[in-house]
Amino acid sequence: MRIDFLQSANLANGRRIGGSVAATDPRPSLVGKESNFSDICATDLSLLGLEKGPRDKQHENYGLCCPETMMSNSTNNSNSNSSHREDDRKESNSTLTGVDSRFNQTLRNVQGLLKGRSFPGKVLITRRSDPISDSGLRSPDIDRSFSDKDAGTSEQLDDSVVDEIQSNSKTNSSSTVNKSRSLTVNTESTSKESQKSTMGARATDSARLTKFTKALSGSTVILEKMRELAWSGVPSYLRPTVWRLLLGYAPPNSDRREGVLRRKRVEYLDCVAQYYDVPDTERTDEEVTMLRQIAVDCPRTVPDVSFFQQAEVQKSLERILYTWAIRHPASGYVQGINDLATPFLVVFLSEYLEGSVDNWSISDLPLEKISNIEADCYWCLSKLLDGMQDHYTFAQPGIQRLVFKLKELVRRIDEPVSRHMEEQGLEFLQFAFRWFNCLLIREIPFNLVTRLWDTYLAEGDALPDFLVYIFASFLLTWSDKLQKLDFQEMVMFLQHLPTQNWTHLELEMVLSRAYMWHTMFNSSPSHLAS
Amino acid sequence: MSNLYGDFNQKIDYVFKIVLIGDSAVGKSQLLARFSRNEFSLDSKATIGVEFQTKTIVIDHKTVKAQIWDTAGQERYRAVTSAYYRGAVGAMLVYDMTKRQSFDHIARWLEELRGHADKNIVIMLIGNKSDLGTLRAVPTEDAKEFAQRENLFFMETSALEATNVETAFITVLTEIYRIVSKKALTANEEAESGKSALLKGTKIVVPGQEPESEGSKYSCCRSS
Repeated sequence: MRIDFLQSANLANGRRIGGSVAATDPRPSLVGKESNFSDICATDLSLLGLEKGPRDKQHENYGLCCPETMMSNSTNNSNSNSSHREDDRKESNSTLTGVDSRFNQTLRNVQGLLKGRSFPGKVLITRRSDPISDSGLRSPDIDRSFSDKDAGTSEQLDDSVVDEIQSNSKTNSSSTVNKSRSLTVNTESTSKESQKSTMGARATDSARLTKFTKALSGSTVILEKMRELAWSGVPSYLRPTVWRLLLGYAPPNSDRREGVLRRKRVEYLDCVAQYYDVPDTERTDEEVTMLRQIAVDCPRTVPDVSFFQQAEVQKSLERILYTWAIRHPASGYVQGINDLATPFLVVFLSEYLEGSVDNWSISDLPLEKISNIEADCYWCLSKLLDGMQDHYTFAQPGIQRLVFKLKELVRRIDEPVSRHMEEQGLEFLQFAFRWFNCLLIREIPFNLVTRLWDTYLAEGDALPDFLVYIFASFLLTWSDKLQKLDFQEMVMFLQHLPTQNWTHLELEMVLSRAYMWHTMFNSSPSHLAS
Repeated sequence: MSNLYGDFNQKIDYVFKIVLIGDSAVGKSQLLARFSRNEFSLDSKATIGVEFQTKTIVIDHKTVKAQIWDTAGQERYRAVTSAYYRGAVGAMLVYDMTKRQSFDHIARWLEELRGHADKNIVIMLIGNKSDLGTLRAVPTEDAKEFAQRENLFFMETSALEATNVETAFITVLTEIYRIVSKKALTANEEAESGKSALLKGTKIVVPGQEPESEGSKYSCCRSS
C-alpha cells in the first residue's frame, strides 16, 4: 500500500524515486532510504499528492478499487486470493436474510419490553449485524483453508507487485487477476491493478503468511521483525499470538511462553478474587462509585454489535475494567477505557469461537477458557495503557498534549484547512479528544478496528507519537470537505464522520499516508520547526 | 442576508449556547437527540468529552439558534468539559429521577456551573426518565423545593416518550431571549471577512456580561 502511494508519485514523477522503493515490505524499504525520501518530499510535495490537486487524483485512483466494482464480479474469481473481500461480502449477503430476521427479533423484543407505550418520533436501534465482513473475525479454519487453497494460484505476492513497480510490465500473476476483473474495470494501467489486489488481500497474502509463520516458528521471536511484519496487518488467525507477543505479554522465548501465560492467568484470577469478588461493604466509597460507573458503561459498550449485549460478556468486561482500575489508582477507570478492552476480547475469543462475531455465543465456552481469555484481555489492556498512563489521569494531560501536537502537524501539512478551522473558531479538542481517548474505535466501523490495532501494537512504545500522524491523516481525508463548512457544520461533521461504509481500503490509505508523513517530518524535524 | 423569508440561508437573529450537564447515564444525550432530531436511541454509547448539536426555533418572530453542548457525565471529564461552560447562556442540569444519587449530586453540578459560567445563565433542573414512574426515587416535591431555593426552572421529562423535552428547552431559550431582548442592546457592526453569510452579521453586546473572547466567538448572544 505504501508502495502504491509512492508508485503514483513515481509515475507522476518520471520515475524519480523509482530506485528507492525496491523491497518486499513497504515499511522497511523506506527506512533505509529515509534521507533520500525526505529530500524528495521536501521538494516535491505536490508529486506525492500532498497538495490539493494531486491528492484528489489519488482519491480517484483508489476510488477505482471500490467494493462495488469488486462485488459485481465476485462470482468469477472465488478462487483468487485477491477476492478475499468479495468472499466476505458474499458471506454477508448470504446471511442477510438471517440478519434481517435477527434485527426484527430484536425489534420485537424491545417492543415487547416497552409494551403498551407509544413513542413519538424515531426510535433508533442500530442494526446489530453490519460488521460481518471482517477478515479479522473469520474463523481460523476458513483462513487456513483459504491460504492453503490459494498458495501458488493466481494471487498477487508482494514481491510481484514490487517487480511491477520496477519493470512496469505485466507479470503472469497480474494478468490472471486482470482477467477476472476486466469485466468491470478498465485496465488503465498495470500499476492500478496491482494496487488493488495488494490492498484487498494484504493480510492473508500467502507470502506474508509464510513470513509470519517463519517469524513465529523459531525458539525466540525477534520482536523487531515481528513489528515490521505486523505493521501492515496480521492474518486473523495469528492475531492473538502476535498481539500477545507485541505487547510484551507473552515472552519471545517459546520455551517460556506457556509457563508465563499460565502464571499470569492465575495471577489475574487472584486479582479478581481479591478486588472484584468482595462485598461492597469492603470497598471504599470511591471504589463503589467506580464500580457503579463501570457497570453503567458495560451495557453501553459497542452496543451496535450484539455480541457485546450478552450478559456474560458484559460481566467479563466489568471484571477486567474494575480490576484494571483498582490496580491503576492514578487514573482509575475513565469512560472510554471500556472501548479499548473490546478489540482484545474479540481477538482472543476468535481463538475459540468460529464465524462472524455476530453469531458468537460466549456460553458455548467452558468457564476455564473464558477466564483465560479474560486474563489475556486484562494483561494486554494493561500493557497497552502502560504506554499512555497520563492520558487518563486528572485533566488528561497526555491527551491534551497529543491534541496540541495534532494541531501543529495539521498546520504543517495542510495550511489552508488549518487556517479555515482557526478562522471558524474550531478547537481540535472539540473533536480530537474522543479520537485519542478511544483510539479511534468510535470513529470507524468495528470490523476495521482489529486491523488498525495491528499497526498500533506494532508501533509499541512509539504509539502515542504515531497516533498524531494517523489522526492527522484521518482528519485530512476530508480536507476539501472541511473547508466548505462553517463552525457548527464542522463540529457536527467531525463528531459524526461518514465512515460507516469504510472498508480496509480507506483505512490502509489513512495508515500509509500517516507513515509517509511520519517518515518525512520525523527525519526532517525542520519541517515541523520552521 | 437580511431577507427574513427567503432562500436557503435562513436569517438567524440570535445564537444561544446551552450546556447539558449531570451525572453519567441520566439521559443527557437522549434529551438532546429528542430535542434536536426527535430521535431516541436504545443503544447509545457513553459521551466522551463533549458532543454538539444545534436546533433553530422561532421565538417572538425572531429566529433563535440553540448551540447545545452535551457533556460527558463522569467526574474525570470535568476538567475538559467545564471549559465549555464559558459563554453558555443556558444550562440543563439533568438527574435521573430513578437514581437518588444523581439528584444528590445536583448541588455539586450547580456549584461547578456557577463557578465557570456567566452570572446571568438561565438554568433548568430536569428530572429525566419520567416514563419509569414506578421506579421513582426522587419525589417531585424535593426537586421543586431545591429548584425554588436555587432559583432554577424545573421540569420532569421523558426523552423516551418525548414528554416535556421540547417544553423544557423552549422555556430556557425563551427566558434567555427575554433577558437578552429586554436589556439595552448595543449593536455594533462586526467587521468580518468570513465567507459564510449565515454567520456574518451584527454582534449584540449584553451589558454586564463579559465580552466574548477568541475561543467562543461563535457562541452566544450573537445575531446574524
